[in-house]
Order: sequence, then structure tokens, then C-alpha cells
Amino acid sequence: MSENILEIRGLNKYFGPTHANVDVDFTLKRGEVHGLIGENGSGKSTLLSQIAGLYGSDSGEMKVNGQPYKPHSPLDAYDHKIAMVMQELGVVGSLPAGINVFLGRMNRFSKAGILNKKALYKEVADILEKWDLSAPPLNRNTDGMSIESRKMIELARALSVDPEILLLDEVTQSLSLNNRERLYKLIEKFKSMGRSIIVITHDIEEMIEITDNVTVLRDGAVVGTVISSETTPDEIRNMMVGREVEGGYYRDDYAPDFSDKVELEVRNLTVAGEIENVSFDVHEGEILGFCGLSDSGIHTVGQAVYGLTDKKLTSGTVHLMHNDTYVNNATTALRNNVGYVPKDRDNEALMIAANIRDNFGLPSVHVIRNKGTGFIHPGKVKKLSNDMVDKLSVKTTGIYQTMDSLSGGNKQKVNLGRWLAKDIKLLILDCPTRGVDVGVKAYIYSIMKEAKKDNIAMILISDELTEVLGMSDRIIVMKDGKVSGEMDRSEDLTEQKVIGVMI
Amino acid sequence: MQTDLTKNVSMDENRRAWVFPLVFIIVIVAAFVIFNAVAGGKFLTLLNIKNIISHAVYPIFIAWGFCFLFACGYTDMSIGGVIVLGSFAACALGNQIGVGGVVIGGMLVGFVLMFVNFLIFTYTKIPSWIAGISLALIYEAIAFALKTGKNTSSVVTSALNSDYRILGQLPWSLVILAVGLVLVYLLYNRTNIGYNIRSIGGNKKVSQAMGIDVNKTLLAVGVICGLLIGLACVMQESYAGQTSVKTGLTSINMIFQPLAIYLLAEILQKHINIIIGVPICSVILYSVFNMLTIMKVPSGTLQEAFLGAFIIIFALIGQHSVKGVVK
Repeated sequence: MSENILEIRGLNKYFGPTHANVDVDFTLKRGEVHGLIGENGSGKSTLLSQIAGLYGSDSGEMKVNGQPYKPHSPLDAYDHKIAMVMQELGVVGSLPAGINVFLGRMNRFSKAGILNKKALYKEVADILEKWDLSAPPLNRNTDGMSIESRKMIELARALSVDPEILLLDEVTQSLSLNNRERLYKLIEKFKSMGRSIIVITHDIEEMIEITDNVTVLRDGAVVGTVISSETTPDEIRNMMVGREVEGGYYRDDYAPDFSDKVELEVRNLTVAGEIENVSFDVHEGEILGFCGLSDSGIHTVGQAVYGLTDKKLTSGTVHLMHNDTYVNNATTALRNNVGYVPKDRDNEALMIAANIRDNFGLPSVHVIRNKGTGFIHPGKVKKLSNDMVDKLSVKTTGIYQTMDSLSGGNKQKVNLGRWLAKDIKLLILDCPTRGVDVGVKAYIYSIMKEAKKDNIAMILISDELTEVLGMSDRIIVMKDGKVSGEMDRSEDLTEQKVIGVMI
Repeated sequence: MQTDLTKNVSMDENRRAWVFPLVFIIVIVAAFVIFNAVAGGKFLTLLNIKNIISHAVYPIFIAWGFCFLFACGYTDMSIGGVIVLGSFAACALGNQIGVGGVVIGGMLVGFVLMFVNFLIFTYTKIPSWIAGISLALIYEAIAFALKTGKNTSSVVTSALNSDYRILGQLPWSLVILAVGLVLVYLLYNRTNIGYNIRSIGGNKKVSQAMGIDVNKTLLAVGVICGLLIGLACVMQESYAGQTSVKTGLTSINMIFQPLAIYLLAEILQKHINIIIGVPICSVILYSVFNMLTIMKVPSGTLQEAFLGAFIIIFALIGQHSVKGVVK
């Protein structure tokens, strides 16, 4: 049996005039965890999609176990024991979680054409148990489930094939710390069974930690492959962008630094079944970080402060001090200089089928409309959008390009930037760097630093501890919907200390 | 541990799942009894109940067709036109060869036309509501040509011989309904094709990625809708004995009541499976019409206004706990 389970030679892929993958050579060994990294649009996801049978290839060849491999569909890839968890594909919301796992492959649970749902759910439960994965009730439809639960269902779907090669595209960034740990264990177990994984993640430190080798892509071509234990984040970053990247991502100061003036006062905020009696202040120019395990309620805090939670289930006060207003719905928040960047940008933040202009313009319509007539001047929206595209360096063909055709990083620039086009006093950021590359990540942090200088109060909710530690003035740790600890920024504050409070 | 959690929550949900349908049916029956008392016993007579049930059967098949149609994310405004032509065929062939002719004529035309519709929706990529309206105009025009044609007029305008109308009468209509309910329930809820149809309506991209052949599935919807609408043609002709020709898109009127039944069943579907909800809602809807008639509310516009108000009230009750934006 060959040492290499997958060999790719001279693979090319075109999307119209775009040369997405250029003569890609790639080798995956048996029992290897191999990382793929590159900036947004570098061709990583395209390469995985070609391996998984989602896209065909224009030229080049692939071999699995030494045999030519040319998948026509994901089912074809499944037959070759190759399965993928995709970055942004998701699940079918109108179908139960359990059905989503075996969608398209339910024949073996059917007798005389009638589906045995009990047997199907049992097999899904067995898969989840085998790999120690958490999952929501399998008979419940997936719409309304958190992005994390949906990701778990997608992972179960890939594992249901019992794959020899597992392709993970940006999975970890959707997961909270405890579920990430579960995934890391799964990766280790997979490797110990002599199976192979290709991982895409924008978290370079994580990639070095969990992989054996890392291949860097730039503009669709392979720049090089390095051994994980012998490389550094800086080396990978430089390979990704093709030049020396100077300076760190995060803040380089180690003390809380913000005004005494309180901008937001939250008291006894409760959302039944999710968070309980959460109280805190956020000062002007302060970044207040929130972290916790899954079900800790950190994401609900962001939604509740912005007035998005169910009124019947929510109690407590959210007080904006600059104009003495109490927020009890999103309209009040929006009109009183509050911005909110949700975790699930495609489903909760952006109008994904609309163009960039409309997405930039929407949060500002009440500001740019004519006060007398109420009409919105198209020229003003156009100017605002063009200015923001230039300011944020959004890679686009123009402001009339639709959002769904932008890369994750550029979508996030629009998502975040549209709030910065306004005079905001409070910005709620829920996992702002999820699914974006190092370049955009650094850019988002630089925007946060600028906003801090401009005295904007910020709430940073994140599943990435390094991000919270690196950017926050104070950190609130939550557990089971309650505040379990609060820590100030300091040089001595480590991930271990925060995790200690978390668990 | 995770499996236990899954089981526990599911069992709780299963237990709770029975409460709403039970309460709902008790409330409906109570409302019928109260109305019967108010109406001096005119409502719950055997004859009246038979009348309501007979009337309620034929739209159920169309509403079931809507369940599959809307589940895959399509609309078809030509169904009324298909029913007119299918009923013509059922009548013409029925009068020639008997009950078998009614079945063959209705089923064949209903099936073929619905399949043609889905071939057009699937392969031309014209939005289905646009293609559907165009097809409705064509079907209405064909029906009108048949009605006014020198050789066809007498065939399509004559009533179906009453000897051949047994499928529209009790108990046969109930037998067909019961068999239909079992088959459609299984097809929608317990087969691969049922899930595939709902999957492409839910998220076409995911479905494709999961290896579901979208075009094939859409054509399967055409087949299923064809069979259901074909059966509706048979039941309509067997029940009414005659179908009038409609032009100027007025054939769309024929699908309003089935559409209302579908909407009511959709509102209830969180608590009652939509396929089971359709016959329940059909009986409720025709009971409301019947009550209005007993109350001497003129049929036509005024009764339809009551129907509209009834759907809104029903929807308000059904949707009261729904959060977020509903499109």
C-alpha cells in the first residue's frame, strides 16, 4: 500500500476568466494532518471542493491510493471514502438534524420505499457518540439552531461516510472552546487510526498546533509546504502575503486604557433559559471582552444588548448613557448610535442577495435621508458606499456587485464597515474575525484600535481566547448563562487563567 | 451522554406533540356542537355532515398537490386550467366507457399536463409563477376552443352520466380519500423522494452537494402532482358531473379554496403533520361555508370575505408564538 493516500499533480480550475487554482501539486500521506492556508481567495476552498467532488477540474490529475480519482459528485467522493465539511454550505433548515446527516443517502434505511427514521436517528446518535460530538435533538429541524449546532450536524454528516480522508474547511472558527477541544481529540483519534485530514483554518497558531505539515497557497498556486513543528506563525504569514509582515495583530499595551465615562450600563439582563442577571458597564474607549464555553450565553448577551431577543423572555435594563436611552428593541439601538456585527454574517447580518451599495446604505438610511421629504437620495447612498469600499479596500468589481459573490473577508469588511460609516457610540462585535484571513483579521483589529482611539465603546464576544486576551481591556467570563468571573487586562493574564474560570 | 440528551428531549416533544391536536379537535367539535344548538340542530344532521364531507374531498387532492409543489419551492398557477381540461376528458371518456373512462380521462390529462408543466419549469428556468400563468392562459384557451368547437362542443359540455359518478359519492369518495391519505402521508414523510423534495425547497445548493439530482427530483414532483391533480379531476367530475369553462385567468379561482386549505394546514403544521392537516382543514373550511349558508349569508363574494377573515383569525391564533419575521 502506497504511503501517499492522495496525490495531486498539475490541478487547474477556472471560473470564467478567474484562474482559481494554478498547477497545484499536493500530497497527503496516510495518517497525516495537513493544513492548507492562504489569504481569502487564494484557492484553498476551491482545492478542497475539487477533492470532494463539488467542482470538476479543468486539467491535472488526482490519485487516491495510487488509483486515478476524478469525482463527479460528492457521492462519488463518499464512495472513495472522502468527505468534507464545508465553510459556508450549511444544512437544510426545513429538515430534521438527523435527516440532514444522511440526506441523499437514505436508501439503506428504507424498506419497500418507506424510511425507517428510528434506525436512521440511531445510527446518527451512534456516530456522534463514537466521535464524542455534541448535537441537538435529531428530530428537530435545523432552522433556529445555532451555527455551532449546525456545524456539528455537518461534521456528523462527513463522519457518517467513515472517511479515510476528511476535509475540514474553517470548522473550528464556528465552534466554542469545548467543542474545539472535542474536534482536536477527534483529529487525534482519526490520525491514530491511520486516516488523513486536510484542514483549512485562518488561525495560524492553531494550524501549527494540530497539523503535521502546512501547505501555503497564494493566488491559486502552491507557494510551499512546511513542517509544522519546524515553522513559525511569522514564516507562514510571510509566505501567505509574499512579503515581510511587520508588527503584531493585537494591542501591544498591557494595561486597561479607557475613559471613566460609562457609555453602556447593563443591569440584571436576563433572557429566560439563556442568560441570567448579567450586569456590567462599558466605558467610552473600552473594549469589553466576553468569553465562555458553548451554552455559556455570550452570544445571547450581544443579541440582548442590541434588543434582538424575545421581549417576553427578556428582562433587565440596557441603558445608553450618552443620551439616556433604554434599549428594548433593535430600532432603538440602531437609532441611538449602536452597531451590531453578529457571528453568523450570511444569515443574520448581511442581505446576501443584495449588492454592496444596499448593504452599506441600510444602517444609515435614517441618517442620509432627506429630513423634510423622507426620501433617500440615491447619489448619497452611492457616495457613502463608494467611500467605504475605498476606505476598507473591499475587493470588488463595484458597489453593484452582490454580496454572495464576495469572499468571506470582504463580506466581513462590509459587515463591519457599514457601522463605521455612522457616528456610533457603542459597537457590539460577535466573533468579528470568524472565517477571515490574516490580512483581513489584522485589518479588523486595526479598525478596532482606531475606534478605541475615537472613544467608541466596544463589546467583543469571541470564541477565540487569544483574540479576547489580545484586544480587551477587561474580560467577562461566562458559564451556564451567568457571569463567572471578570479580569482586567494585564501582562500576567494567560489563556490558562481564563480557562480556569470558564470551566 | 449526548445520545441520552437527544432521546430525552425527543420524548418530551413526543409527549407534548399530542396535546395540541387533541385540544384543537376538542375545540372544533365543541364549536360545531354549539353552532348546531344555535342553528336549531340544522348543522349536525347526517345529511348535512355527508354533504360537507362529499364537498370537502375533491379539494384535498389539490391541496396535497400544493404540499409537494410548495415544498420544492415552486408555484403553479395553471392547475385550475389543468383541472378544467382533465374534467372534460373524464366526462368525455366517462360517457363513452363508464367509470373506467372517468378515471383514465381525468388521470391521464391531469398527469400529462402537470408533467409537461414541470418539464417547462425545470428545463426552461422560467420562474414557475410566470410560466404557470402563461400555461393557464393556454389551457383556458384550449378548453374554450373545445367548448365552442363544432365537433367537440356537445362532448365536453354535456354532463357526466349519473351512473358513472359513484367515485364522487359516499362511501367511495371516502375510501379513495383514506387510501390517498395513507399513500400521500408515507410519500411525503417517510420516503427518500419526500425528503429530497423538501430538501431542494429548503436549500438547493446543499441538496446538490448531498448528491440529490435536482432536475430528477423536480420531475418527480411533476409526477406526484400529476397523479394528485389527475385524481382531483376524477373526483371533481364525479362529484359535480360538469365543469364550466373559464377564460381570462378565471380558472385560477378554482384553486383558491384548495389554497386556503393548504394555508390553514401550513399554519397548523407545527402541531399537526401537514398531510393530515389538509383533510382536517378541508372539513373545517367547508363546515364554515355550510354554517354561513345555514345563517343565510349569500354565497359568493360575502362568503369569500368570511373565508378571508377566517383564514386571518386562524393564522393569528396559529402563529401567535412565532418569533421573528415571517415572509
